[in-house]
Amino acid sequence: MLLALLPFGNAIAHEMTPTYPKFTASFMAGISVTTLNLFNKRKDVAYYEIGVFTDEWEPVPFVSQYTVIPMEYLDTISFDVYVSNLSVDSVEYICSVSQIQAGATVSSKICSRIK
Amino acid sequence: MKKLLIASLLLAPYIPAYAENAPIAGSVQTRCLITTDTNGVFGNPLPSKLSTASADGGVLPVIRYDVTLANAYLAKVTTPTSFDSSPSLVDSVAWTGSTAVTNTSDAGMSGYEAAKVTYGYTTQFDLTIAGSTWFSSTVAAVYGGTKSFPGGSYTAIVLAECIAK
Repeated sequence: MLLALLPFGNAIAHEMTPTYPKFTASFMAGISVTTLNLFNKRKDVAYYEIGVFTDEWEPVPFVSQYTVIPMEYLDTISFDVYVSNLSVDSVEYICSVSQIQAGATVSSKICSRIK
Repeated sequence: MKKLLIASLLLAPYIPAYAENAPIAGSVQTRCLITTDTNGVFGNPLPSKLSTASADGGVLPVIRYDVTLANAYLAKVTTPTSFDSSPSLVDSVAWTGSTAVTNTSDAGMSGYEAAKVTYGYTTQFDLTIAGSTWFSSTVAAVYGGTKSFPGGSYTAIVLAECIAK
């Protein structure tokens, strides 16, 4: 039987900052915005999905340049998250989740928290 | 040649040296970095069982969390409950999984293992100290009681989360 044989000793990493982003007024009336940075040190991941959630982990509608961000190895990307002022007070977490490709065995998810 | 060398030495103080500053800028932020130190490998101790345990011929997946601020993050590691890819399976697969601390960069982190919370297939650790912590997961899959897994490639995914508190 051919088992899942994967190279080990291969360090791959994912990072998102800031840990505690803050929403500010955007250039559009009724919309708030915050900016986050994503760093991809995973050769086995080319896309990250962004999500915005309440404290009960319910999804919150948002707009960003990408919902799924394409990133090459060692890329750093800055992206904006726009949320309606009607929903912004319910936002608790902004998360990035790796969209793994065949061969990867660990999916990473990092969530920043609104304070 | 000797005269040329002497002339060069005499002229050296009079040759202006040009220099330019090249500033390097950066900032240090609170961050959580998730790194996969070791990808897991399934061992096949029985025809009906796949396991990452060393005793079963497997390799435990090892995930490292680096946090720069104490008491700012929760680490959650969820072991798989299905194969991400596998040959066609006609019966159910029973999954078991657990995650434990295997190494730390600070002796004060010794309490993480005792304080962990397990619910379902997820193990949660409160990262109360800044530094690096290594977690490993033991995953086992048993096919249809005693059926043999069909030949082919099997992969399953461990989910590593870092949630700001």
